[in-house]
Formats: sequence, C-alpha cells, structure tokens
Amino acid sequence: MDHATPADERALVERCRAGDAGAFQELVDRYKNLVFALIARTVQDRSRAEDLAQDVFLRVHRGLPYFRGEARLSTWIYRIVANVCVQEQGHAPATISIDARTSNGRPLVRPSAADRQFGDLELRDRLEKAIARLPANYRFVIAAHYLEGVRYEELAEALDLPLGTVKTQLHRAKQQLRRVLETELK
Amino acid sequence: MFCDEALDSVEAVAAGDVTPDGRLADHYATCPNCASALESARTLERLLQHRPTPAPPAQFTGKTMARVRRARWRSDQFLDAGFNLAIVVVVLAVVAGIWMVLDRSGLAAVSRDAVDLFSTGLVAFAQRAVPAAPLYLAAAGLLAMALGIWWWAERDATL
Repeated sequence: MDHATPADERALVERCRAGDAGAFQELVDRYKNLVFALIARTVQDRSRAEDLAQDVFLRVHRGLPYFRGEARLSTWIYRIVANVCVQEQGHAPATISIDARTSNGRPLVRPSAADRQFGDLELRDRLEKAIARLPANYRFVIAAHYLEGVRYEELAEALDLPLGTVKTQLHRAKQQLRRVLETELK
Repeated sequence: MFCDEALDSVEAVAAGDVTPDGRLADHYATCPNCASALESARTLERLLQHRPTPAPPAQFTGKTMARVRRARWRSDQFLDAGFNLAIVVVVLAVVAGIWMVLDRSGLAAVSRDAVDLFSTGLVAFAQRAVPAAPLYLAAAGLLAMALGIWWWAERDATL
C-alpha cells in the first residue's frame, strides 16, 4: 500500500498519540493519495470523494488513541476507507445509466474507426459508468486491486475476508463488467 | 470441457491468476464464443490496469487539518460544557443535601439565627469602619507605594 515499514508506521502513530502537531499532518500527507484515489474511484464524484477522504482522516484522528497496532496502520486506514465507501453506497442515488442503445442492443453512439481516440475515451467513460453500477464491495475491490501499491493480502485483511474470497469477488466484478460492456470490448 | 467451465475461468486467465492447462487451452483455441469472451476479458483487464488514478486537490492536507482542528475544538467545548454542567449539578446536590440535613435536624433555625447575628455584626462593623475609611485608604496607598518602590528597586538590581 505504501513504502513505509511497520516500524515507521508505529513511530508515526506514537508521535501522533504524544500530541506532536506535525505528526498527524505527516500521516495525512503520506496516505492522502491512496485514500483519495480509492474513494474517488469508488464514488466517482471528486467533490464527494474529497469530503469522504477528509472523513476518513477525521476517523483516523479520533481512532488513533484506540489503535492497538495489531494490524498495520495502512491496513487499518484501508478498512476505514472500505467502511466509508460501503456506507456511502447506502446514501448515494444509483442514477447512472450506461445504456443509450438501439433496439438491437447496439450502443446508440458508435465512434467511427478513424476516430480511435474518441472511441477510447468513450469506452473509458462507459467503463466508469459500468463500474458505478456494481455493488459497493465489488467497486471497492476493483478500485483497490488496480491501484499501485495495494497488495491482495492487505486488501483481504482490511476487508476481513479470506484471500480466495477477495479474488472471487474481483473475478465476479470483472465478469459483470465484461457482460455489461460486451459489445464495446469486441 | 464445456463452455460453462471455460467461461468461468475467463477472468482468472485474463488476469494471469490461472494458466490454462491443455484442455482449457484447447477449448479456447477451438470455441469461438469462449475465445471471444477471453479476448474481451483481456481488453477489460488492460483498461482496468490503465484506469487513471485520481489525485487529491492541492489544498487537501490543509483543509483536512482545518477540519481536524475544528472537530477537536468542538469535542473540547463539548467536554468543557459537560464538565461545567456536572460541577453545577454536584454543587446544587451538595447544597440541597446540607439544607435537608440542617432542616431535619433543627439546625436550620439555629443557622438562621447565626445568619441574622452575622449580618447584624456586619452592619455594625460597617457603621464603625465608614468614618475611618479615608484613613484606611491612605494607609493602603502608602503600603502599595512602598511595595512599588521595592519592586522597582529589585527590578533594577536584577538587570
């Protein structure tokens, strides 16, 4: 998840607990890219993602005195992010539609072969919309797995799931995406 | 090998989590439907791997720290208010308890007499002290001046 060693993390946590004013800011700086990217990929709304990412750090700040250090700090933060994303699923309206299709099932807008760049952009856009329609736990594993530095094992530990279950969830999420985007992917 | 089995493995094969063995590889080579699904899965895998990573806004750390400070201030205020309320409740309870004890034991009447006596004494003391008030004020002024001179002299000596 990050390149800090467990000893570095413990030292940072101790400094935060001791009331070191700069320590928590250092913690935010160290994890903000990961936290924001994970949330932004899951909720797909930048301003909402910023609010939620700040919520994550507020929870971290409140929880630090009770953090026992049994898991790595990064894993614990990861767990908080997962909870925030799943809770957000309960509040967010599921209004995104990826389907503007003709009666024969083909997309209404088909880019010409010459305009490949536009085609790629459109495909990416449809992929994001298709991801937005996945259940929250699938969205989260997709967001996390393809984020640089996030290990499968940490993901399983953060979600409190066996490694095999995480892999299965990931494969099922991709299966759903493939079915939704079947026409565009060919 | 049936298509169902091959299709179930498509994502794992595309991600490189599973290497297709002879039977599976043969099926993908001979079944156009499953081969197409595998190709789609590989395209999806590439798209996911190159999905853009959103970066936080430039002011993110500053804003987060401001929110943390606000939350801590609110929490401190809440604790202070709770503490003050608890103190008031305790003081009221103690006063009520003392009053009830005095009332039940008949000491309340005695204490009322004591209060009357004390207030009468206070009035008599005030009546006697008021004429001499300028003298007391002058004495207090002289004492304050002496202390001021001493402080000034000490301050100079330490410089």
